[in-house]
Amino acid sequence: MSESSDTQAPRPEEEPSTGTSRRTFLKILGLSGAGATAAACRPAPPHIDQKLIPYLVQPEGITPGTNTLYASLLAEAGPEPLGIHAWVRDGRVLNLEGNPDFPLNADSMSALGLSTLQDLYDPDRIPGPRQKRGGDFQEAAWKDGIQALGKAVKDGDVVLLTGTGTGTRDRFAAEWAKAVGARHVRYDTFDYAALRRAHEIAFGRAEIPTYAVDQADRIVTFGADFLATWLEPVTLGRRFAHARDIEKGRHARFTFVGPRLSLTGSNADDWLPARPGTSGPVALAVAHVVAQKKGGSRGLELQGALATYTPEWAADRTGVAADKIQKLGEEIAAAERPVALPPGPESQGADATDACLAVALLNYAAGAIGTTVQFGVGPRRGQGATLAEMKTLIADMKNGKVRTLIVAGPNPAFTLPASAGFAEALGQVPTVVSLNSHMDETTAAAGWILPGSHELESWGDAEVLPGAWALGQPVMQPVFDTRQREDILMQAADAAGIKADFGAQDFAGYLENAWQEKHRASGSSQRFDEWWFDTKRQGGRWEAAPGKAASVGLSRTVTSHSFSGGANAPARGKFDLVVYPGSYLYDGRGANRGWMQEIPDPITKCVWGSWVEMHPDTARPLGLENGDEVEVTSESGKVRAPVYLYPGIRKDAVGIQIGQGHTHYGRNAAGRGVSPLDLLPDTVDGATGSLAYAGVAVQLTATGRKAPLAKLQGSDLDYGREVSEIMGVEEARKAIGEHQVDLTELVEAAWDSDPMSPYRWGMTVDLNACTGCGACVAGCYAENNLAVVGEERCAGGREMSWIRIERYFEATADGGFQTTHLAEMCQQCGDAPCEPVCPVYAAYHNPEGLNVQVYNRCVGTRYCSNNCPYKQRRFNWFSYDFPYPLNLQLNPDVTVRDKGVMEKCTFCVQRIDRAKVQAKEKGRLVQDGDFQTACQAACPTRAITFGNLKDPTSRVSRIAKGARSYHVLEELNTRPAVTYLRDVTHAELAQET
Amino acid sequence: MADHWDTEERGLTLADANRDIMRPIMVSSWRYWTLLAFVFALVVWGCIAWAWQIDQGLGVAGYSHPVMWAVYITSFVFWVGIAHSGTLISAILYLFRSGWRTTINRASEAMTIFAVMTAGLFPLIHLGRTWYFYWLIPYPSERFIWPNFKSPLVWDVFAVGTYFTISLLFWYTGMIPDLAAIRDRLRGWKSKVYGLFSVGWQGTVREWSHYRRAYLYMAAIATPLVLSVHSVVSWDFAMGIVPGWHSTIFAPYFVAGAIFSGMAMVITILVPMRWAFGLEDYITDYHLDNMSKLILLTSLIVAYSYAAEYFITYYSADPTEQASLFFRAHGSFQGPFWVMTFCNVIVPATLWFKKVRRSASAAFVVSIFVNIGMFYERYVIIVSSLAHEYEPYSWGFYRPSWVEISIIVGSFAWFFFWFLLFTKALPTISIAEVKEHLAHQGAHEHG
Repeated sequence: MSESSDTQAPRPEEEPSTGTSRRTFLKILGLSGAGATAAACRPAPPHIDQKLIPYLVQPEGITPGTNTLYASLLAEAGPEPLGIHAWVRDGRVLNLEGNPDFPLNADSMSALGLSTLQDLYDPDRIPGPRQKRGGDFQEAAWKDGIQALGKAVKDGDVVLLTGTGTGTRDRFAAEWAKAVGARHVRYDTFDYAALRRAHEIAFGRAEIPTYAVDQADRIVTFGADFLATWLEPVTLGRRFAHARDIEKGRHARFTFVGPRLSLTGSNADDWLPARPGTSGPVALAVAHVVAQKKGGSRGLELQGALATYTPEWAADRTGVAADKIQKLGEEIAAAERPVALPPGPESQGADATDACLAVALLNYAAGAIGTTVQFGVGPRRGQGATLAEMKTLIADMKNGKVRTLIVAGPNPAFTLPASAGFAEALGQVPTVVSLNSHMDETTAAAGWILPGSHELESWGDAEVLPGAWALGQPVMQPVFDTRQREDILMQAADAAGIKADFGAQDFAGYLENAWQEKHRASGSSQRFDEWWFDTKRQGGRWEAAPGKAASVGLSRTVTSHSFSGGANAPARGKFDLVVYPGSYLYDGRGANRGWMQEIPDPITKCVWGSWVEMHPDTARPLGLENGDEVEVTSESGKVRAPVYLYPGIRKDAVGIQIGQGHTHYGRNAAGRGVSPLDLLPDTVDGATGSLAYAGVAVQLTATGRKAPLAKLQGSDLDYGREVSEIMGVEEARKAIGEHQVDLTELVEAAWDSDPMSPYRWGMTVDLNACTGCGACVAGCYAENNLAVVGEERCAGGREMSWIRIERYFEATADGGFQTTHLAEMCQQCGDAPCEPVCPVYAAYHNPEGLNVQVYNRCVGTRYCSNNCPYKQRRFNWFSYDFPYPLNLQLNPDVTVRDKGVMEKCTFCVQRIDRAKVQAKEKGRLVQDGDFQTACQAACPTRAITFGNLKDPTSRVSRIAKGARSYHVLEELNTRPAVTYLRDVTHAELAQET
Repeated sequence: MADHWDTEERGLTLADANRDIMRPIMVSSWRYWTLLAFVFALVVWGCIAWAWQIDQGLGVAGYSHPVMWAVYITSFVFWVGIAHSGTLISAILYLFRSGWRTTINRASEAMTIFAVMTAGLFPLIHLGRTWYFYWLIPYPSERFIWPNFKSPLVWDVFAVGTYFTISLLFWYTGMIPDLAAIRDRLRGWKSKVYGLFSVGWQGTVREWSHYRRAYLYMAAIATPLVLSVHSVVSWDFAMGIVPGWHSTIFAPYFVAGAIFSGMAMVITILVPMRWAFGLEDYITDYHLDNMSKLILLTSLIVAYSYAAEYFITYYSADPTEQASLFFRAHGSFQGPFWVMTFCNVIVPATLWFKKVRRSASAAFVVSIFVNIGMFYERYVIIVSSLAHEYEPYSWGFYRPSWVEISIIVGSFAWFFFWFLLFTKALPTISIAEVKEHLAHQGAHEHG
């Protein structure tokens, strides 16, 4: 730790200045090393948690009752690095919001990213060092653990297994491994090796390009679930919404190719249901058509190479009609700036590289390379070991070539397919030391656990764009007796007597040294301590990010590449298996976070379990309905789970999500559901050794049992009730063009609120922008102390969420369907049916138009809920627990409700009140940008706008007047404060009968 | 068979009336005490279930989102409905000078009192925070917080409260001469107790004159309540915007249903009571015949209401309302719906036959069906409507839990517990009115 950082005092939250954006308002103070965290006291043990003890000496810069924001980085939360502002109060982090300065997710978040709070405060985290004695883990001392690890390191044959990374933590791991003579293996669940390899073959750059979806006017994905789990979903989601911003006249048509409509697929206008593992041939045939139609130099270059891959050739192999491929090709050829995205893991078979290459060629033929597909500017991502490489490690472990395995991050015992045999090999390694913070499957097999701190308690950084660095600083003291992983390794090297010079006493110092290099390289005129302070305050340094994409050319050899025809069709009576990463569980890491279990899956609307997705036309003839248990058998294993009928999956395929089926990992995860990874053989992509998730045939047997399937959505159709509305793109364009701004409508919407009040709070939700990702729901859970109630209670309709995404299917003219996602919260009706029926005035109308619920006054007649047509009220059937330390995350501004009272969305009234106080101090009214509601702040696509409807210039007023606006169940005349903007599709909708 | 109550043929004298009606008060049997103990045990069990529910939270009941009201409110409406026939018989039939009410009014009024006492429990049981039930009552508070008079639930408090008070007073007023008669037959402390409640009744002409006047006025006051209480209860639903609830037909529909179920409950109670206490000479087939006719009439009104509800929904062309009513008959609650239709429309049609009406056992069986049917009617209206509201996302299901079933069983036991105490402590038939009838008939035939 350098001197300078010790002496710096934290600076209080800056005063928001009039007329500036929220960005300025949320200027961050830098956390200066341990000095500042000392002020942020260690969370109190539970027994004194009940008492309020004032500071004896008020630490400078800490104002009780206000949040202090720290900029930091989440690198391990999910698929992407997220720049965050951590809201810290009294030494506890309470909430996370996107860091507006961060070049990727900017001011938005993902559900998975928000749920990392529950990871931090997980009551099942390993509270301190543990040693396995007699088959059980016993408490142990850090000193002994470090000694044991040091001894193992000294004995040699050490493997250090970490996740991938682009920053100093990764560099340290490599350096440490080199110093102690260990082998360093990096492993991530999803490796993207095929994508790099394909671009190496095509353009000579083994790189993941940037997909500038925002620039595109025609989008097609060959399976990548880029709105949920693939590459950087939050960033790509923002770009996707930008490309389809109908109000700006844009609306890129979007086609999804793949066997199952994922969250991304559910946002598509067209669906080409290619069999699993055959996206490659479809892409080839589309490229064939594009090369022919588009011509030009690029087309001519490829015409010969693609000559044999006609739509008819592909149709036989993929199950997609030739005319549809032809049409898609023609549309892409006609588009100015099309973009094609490659297959993601779920559609990646044994020819993954070929498939990615086909998409690369398509992008080339379509002229996308260099415009919508850019090299040299993209988000950086570390390359982990492929399955083939992991199999080498597994073989070494089995052959006794590995004497000590140090696991620092990943959980391969769960995330590798069972057939790879990692779990068995683990048993043959004499010493396994886990630095993981959770009792995951890999850690459970360890002899020593030296728990590493959560990343919110650790130092770290990442090179998010080439040359653009994000800094991750600890935002609070460790909740448990844990240490930064790198510090453990450093101490172990010391204990082993290895004279390694890391240039610092601990990792914090090591990292600071690394940033001193960056400071020198930046040529900044600031002194380092000032520069470092600013870096910590803004969460990184992004000035050096490259502005211009590298230009690339097609490599000569690719024209002679011989492509595979994709996965074979399953034998009669068998089904193609679709294995896909969970939107909320991802590779299983979300499984012990209550929020991630309890927020319904965006597609199936099921919670807390596993299910086997089947097409209704396939299931019904077999006598299978929702909840009927089936056994799914592959050559590699079998699993049992209930059937879920989903019209968005091919009739000859079944889908199972990755994420459940943990045997360890904590109370929410262990013993819940099944893992489809148990069904996968260890087949790999020939070119890279990457695991083939697609191309597995399975057999289905009904067990005759009913298994619980907690589906929260009652009906998938809205029966034309004007709940979710969707319109054709031409109709929308026409409406927007002709629309006359009508102010009276808005004034009328505020008719009921106090005429003296300057506020009528309102919200708009743009269904065209909403992708259904559910970040808003997680944001609400984090802000409003929503209880997690568990599977059984969810199945009984007792989930406590104040906001939900309703997913409806709308029939299209061609017999298919369009999915709409409708984020619905309390509509804060002007003429609210809930209010007059409450016998005790617990539900009343406040002067600012909010339907306020007075918890203390509520006696629990529940009439308000019966009379709410939106069914947005939630009743506390029990007193719900927030087991320590989850209770530390509770927002002190929001009451924790007890049994017997009704609750619902408040429009984040606590944030409204804070903003009003702050505005009053400045002698003005609350303005746009002063604050956001929690759901709004989380939303990656900015679908939610909140503000004052009485101010005709506010954004919300202007948007609410738009041509696409409507109110849910308008005919009831409830005059909701939430205005929806209709979803827009290119698909031709069926006439409503 | 007689088409009136022929006391002459049965050879009843004034002395017989005293002896027969007061017999249960004067003598005890082990059978009575066993039955009472059994019923009391069920009450205790229901109380345990309630205590568990208060301790754990309402989640131990089977509620789900969106079905926030279920069997508790069903029971509330059911018992309020039962309570109707008592006042109907004692007040309205009294004003209409219907002689056949004489031997059944006391028991039915008692039934009314106990039914309201049972009904009144359920709004408390169903509250999320029972311990704050008094916030629904407009009491002067230092915080100047009043209940919300716009809420039908507050109207309920007034309607049911008023009804209970008037019914109790009416019942008590009618009992004063009888209490005096019992007082005169007893000795010791019991005599003193009955004496206290008989407020010094001597049976003088002047007393009788005042008494008859008072009774008439009370009948006049009680009469509108018969219509108002269940109208107000129906507004708990009709004032809501829930499809399947929001209907102007609800008030008359509920009142007819209440009389229907109330008369059925009177038969359900009187038939075993007359058998147990040997009161066949007082509660005769003629009385059963008249009650059955009233059941038949109200059954027709109820059936008409069912049909009208469907017709109006069809005619309204409101798709949500139509879907809700369709769901009621064909959705996941179709079982209860068809039980309701069978019990309330088909079974009572047998009462068109005089033989059925005049057979105690047949009438009893029909009355049981009607009781079941009317419980299901409220269940269907409440639960199936809530399960299938506006937002298809929030369509749900409901199944009662053991706690709810225990409390319902306990509530029935609570009702019968009070009724058993009543048969032991008070004359189950108005002695004074029977004597009056005997005197009249004697005078008519011999004079």
